[in-house]
Amino acid sequence: MLAYLIRRILATIPVVLMVALFVFSLLYIAPGDPAAIIAGDQASPEDVERIRASLGLDRPFLVRFFEWLWQVMHGDLGTSIFTNLPVSHMIAQRIEPTVSLMTLTLILSLSIAIPMGVIAAWKHGTWIDRVVMMVAVFGYSTPVFVVGYLLAYLFALQLDWLPVQGFTSITEGLIPFLRNLILPAVALGLIYMALLARITRATMLDVLSQDYVRTAKAKGVEQKGILFVHALKNAAVPIITIVGIGFATLIGGAVVTESVFAIPGLGRLTVDAILRRDYPVIQGVVLLFSFTYVVVNLGVDLLYTVFDPRIRY
Amino acid sequence: MRRRDFLRTTAGAAGILAAPRISRAADSKVLRFVPQANLANLDPIWTTQYVVRNASALMWDTLYGVNDQLVPQPQMVEAHETSADGKTWTFRLRTGLKFHDNAPVLSKDVVASINRWMVRDSSMGVGIKRNLDALEAVDDRTFRFRFKAPYPKLLFALGKSSTPVLFIMPERIAATDPFKQISEYIGSGPMTFKKDEWVPGSAATFERFAGYEPREEKASWLAGGKRINFDRIEWKILPDAATASGALQNNEVDWLETPLPDLIPLLKKSPGISVDISDDLGNIGVFRMNHLYPPFNDERARRAVQIALNQADYMRAVVGDDEALWKLLPGFFTPGTALYTEQGGDYLKGPRKYDEAKKLLAEAGYKNEPIILLVATDVSITKAQGDVTADLLQKIGMNVQYTALDWGTVGQRRASKEPPDKGGWNIFHTWSAGADCINPAPYTGLDASGPTAWFGWPKSDKVQAKIAEWFAATDLATEKTVIGDLNQAAMDDVVYIPTGFFKGYQAWRKNVTGIVKAPFPVFWDVSKT
Amino acid sequence: MSSFVLDAGGHAVAPVLPDVLPEPKQRGRVMGFIHRHPTIALGGTVLALMVLIAIFAPFLATVDPTALAPAKRTRPPSELYWFGTDMLGRDVYSRVLYGSRVSLTVGFSVAALASIIGTTLGLVAGFTRWLDAIVMRVMDGLMSIPGILLAIALMALTRASMKNVIIAIAVAEFPRVCRLVRGVVLSLREQPYVEAAIASGTRIPVIIWRHILPNTLAPLMVQATFICASAMIGEATLSFLGAGTPPIIPSWGNIMAEGRALWQVKPYIVFFPAIFLCLTVLAVNMLGDGLRDALDPRLAKRL
Repeated sequence: MLAYLIRRILATIPVVLMVALFVFSLLYIAPGDPAAIIAGDQASPEDVERIRASLGLDRPFLVRFFEWLWQVMHGDLGTSIFTNLPVSHMIAQRIEPTVSLMTLTLILSLSIAIPMGVIAAWKHGTWIDRVVMMVAVFGYSTPVFVVGYLLAYLFALQLDWLPVQGFTSITEGLIPFLRNLILPAVALGLIYMALLARITRATMLDVLSQDYVRTAKAKGVEQKGILFVHALKNAAVPIITIVGIGFATLIGGAVVTESVFAIPGLGRLTVDAILRRDYPVIQGVVLLFSFTYVVVNLGVDLLYTVFDPRIRY
Repeated sequence: MRRRDFLRTTAGAAGILAAPRISRAADSKVLRFVPQANLANLDPIWTTQYVVRNASALMWDTLYGVNDQLVPQPQMVEAHETSADGKTWTFRLRTGLKFHDNAPVLSKDVVASINRWMVRDSSMGVGIKRNLDALEAVDDRTFRFRFKAPYPKLLFALGKSSTPVLFIMPERIAATDPFKQISEYIGSGPMTFKKDEWVPGSAATFERFAGYEPREEKASWLAGGKRINFDRIEWKILPDAATASGALQNNEVDWLETPLPDLIPLLKKSPGISVDISDDLGNIGVFRMNHLYPPFNDERARRAVQIALNQADYMRAVVGDDEALWKLLPGFFTPGTALYTEQGGDYLKGPRKYDEAKKLLAEAGYKNEPIILLVATDVSITKAQGDVTADLLQKIGMNVQYTALDWGTVGQRRASKEPPDKGGWNIFHTWSAGADCINPAPYTGLDASGPTAWFGWPKSDKVQAKIAEWFAATDLATEKTVIGDLNQAAMDDVVYIPTGFFKGYQAWRKNVTGIVKAPFPVFWDVSKT
Repeated sequence: MSSFVLDAGGHAVAPVLPDVLPEPKQRGRVMGFIHRHPTIALGGTVLALMVLIAIFAPFLATVDPTALAPAKRTRPPSELYWFGTDMLGRDVYSRVLYGSRVSLTVGFSVAALASIIGTTLGLVAGFTRWLDAIVMRVMDGLMSIPGILLAIALMALTRASMKNVIIAIAVAEFPRVCRLVRGVVLSLREQPYVEAAIASGTRIPVIIWRHILPNTLAPLMVQATFICASAMIGEATLSFLGAGTPPIIPSWGNIMAEGRALWQVKPYIVFFPAIFLCLTVLAVNMLGDGLRDALDPRLAKRL
């Protein structure tokens, strides 16, 4: 078990390095120039050149890459070109809203989608099943920002129940925290919920038609017991897989949601940095995201071993 | 309002936990302001972005400051003297001036700040530096300029609002290379910057500095006593216009600097919100062509666009359906100001001449080469102008290559002097604050010195001669004559094409009073009930 | 696993009978198809409708979609402007019709491109052991960057154009195809008939053509439809964030992005393209669902 864990962790290192090299090299060949942006509207071309030099943007690629890697390993993610603040500081400022949003979305999605999928599988072939599937497909087909604007319009502006934008930390109270985050979480989670519900249903259907389940039914074990004890445990593996893979979709959706609801999180930070070509921030954040994704998938793999003793690499 | 109170009472116990946040939001000592753009950095000399200048005006003070007539008034300076030959200016600072670390403001700080500013201010500072024999601190409260030739417009340079503004910083900070950002924000103004609460892209907070002594006079733009009635001013950056407007309607913010014009009717209808024109000096839309390469290196091609361009289309696209918000502008200077003139502007008036334009293009030798049109699609003003231009060029038979970019990339690309098909450009759009176009002094866009001019690099000896004449003019009557000729020359040579004059709105909650019209948000004398 | 045959709906189906029954009539066959595969029928029909709209847009549109008329900006839907006008006075109805071209082209092209690249890489990885490790590490790396961020980053490197949007989204999507194909290759390589073919000297390309590709076709087709749906939403999201197709070409994402600020006062500018986009994506998703159910019920678990 320990050996497996170590091997899995070691396997993630080349992946993260690959991402680092990839991101770094992409930006290096980019034609955009942050120096001119910083110089501002009224600057002359000479001004722009001097700013470029002062930011060290004219040194060779490998030098910059290894220098950066060395710094990263010491916890220094560099300094933002635009704000002059350390990237790690900027990330630390914005990580709480994004983590809060994603956690709430995850909790919401799992608690709604899995029961939905289970019920749909249980009532397979009936109208309940069809309705659940239709709702799921609709959820999967609508862009996040359309849902976001609709929810904001309805619940914030028309009904005045919830605020239009912003973020309140949970340390300032659970109710204000929820009030700010519930609409974004629903908007973000819709696609995730749709995906989860479908997979849950499909997996449950598959499991329910298995021999051992029919045996248990024949033996007279109560139906609900079958579902929730045996079937769900066996369905856990694919569901967990989707939770892991869907995490990347969640991050992508978070970018849009943060933009619509003005949540000061990492998603919007990254998009702004990319469009402004703030290289250090882009590098730091993308590295963080991929590292997180890798860790999440590691966790998923470990959860496999909990749910299915047969899986042991 | 009723529903929100209902929710609060039901929240009960949790509501107690929620108390700090809610009470702060309703606090009359905190102003929540939504700026025109993100505040990504805070060095007003290093960058010329308006939003940085607006924030800096809270943090730093100036030697002089223009009032609402754009006449410079003494601010940090107590008195000044000019020598008889006009070549020496001596200034004495007020007493009691302090930086945010409680150190006194001394002449050496002033001299260092002026030196840093002169390097970056191409409209006046560079000219002053060239003309300067010496700039020295005579004693702790006195400093002196000694010029080679008389420079009558010095006070305006020291107090102007066009970027970069001459903010006075401590000597050690002002010693920073003008091409590097400062990292310390010790100011001389009425508010301090809370660096530890700064979240770039989302929030910036300013706190009142008790040690600031405002002048006695009533405040007027950058002049007079800067009295702040808040303990904190919180800038919230909301890039999504619909979200910003919603936040104002929901009382989540107090003041929007640039609400989207199309959302104004909605805000006007909203019971708790006041809406008014933000600045009577407005803005001038700018259509810049690249004078270095064909086709626009030929005056006939530029003329073709000029006589076909329909300012009404541009203005409607930029500000919407409200006719009171825009005006045709057959000139380069700000309407409603002393030097406004329409002399020479007939090209932009009357029915548009598409056929003649096509003829002129043919004469200029245009053979359907692609025209690289740079459009910043993330800024509504430039996107609107870009879309109208694409349509216009097609109407006169040009082959448009609409290049959609973000504002930052346009800023980079327009600096390129390469041929258009090799990373250069033919046309880009921007706009200038009316306050910066009242006369040639702050007017970078009018300079026609060729390769050293602003992007587009127009060259016109006639225009340059007229600008020099204006700088040397000593009375208003002469200035007016010269400006009239200048306008005509700039129109004849098509230095650039103004796309019209337009104003914007600002919107604020009704319980906020004291908001005035100005080219920038003025925070002094504003209060909240 | 089970002793009798289940079809897509989970119902027991009788084994195949000898051909003593008469040929079913043509009409019966079509109706039968619709009855058995309603999602394919519905999804396919709506998609076909959208494709027709895209092809015949010039005839169905009322005005030139790029024609500006600032004097008539933001008019609500009326007899003259069926879906109203946008902030530059352009006719929303005509723009939405032409928008179908962009969105459908992006969707189909990304699906095709991602499939081709992914399949090629998957085959290479599956057959060449030493390349496998490298390719899969790169794929893992690509998949660990959230797709949208990867696409925006790629768009930020280049000029905004439909071609670049297609490439950017395809890059984010092809790793999954690669994984899929590689999985098929690996599992098939162990099969006796494939081993026999290799042993008897059949060249790899022939093996690929004869044995591997036919087996990848079904899951690939299903995956491709989902990629198509995802790409269409991806294009809308990219346009929303300001990194999508150039605004001069109307696309559903563009029209929504331009109109989003006016959502509260002029909702029709966002509403109509949103409806069209949702319907099309829905149709494609349903098509994918139906294909998956029809082609192999066991795929339901894998995807």
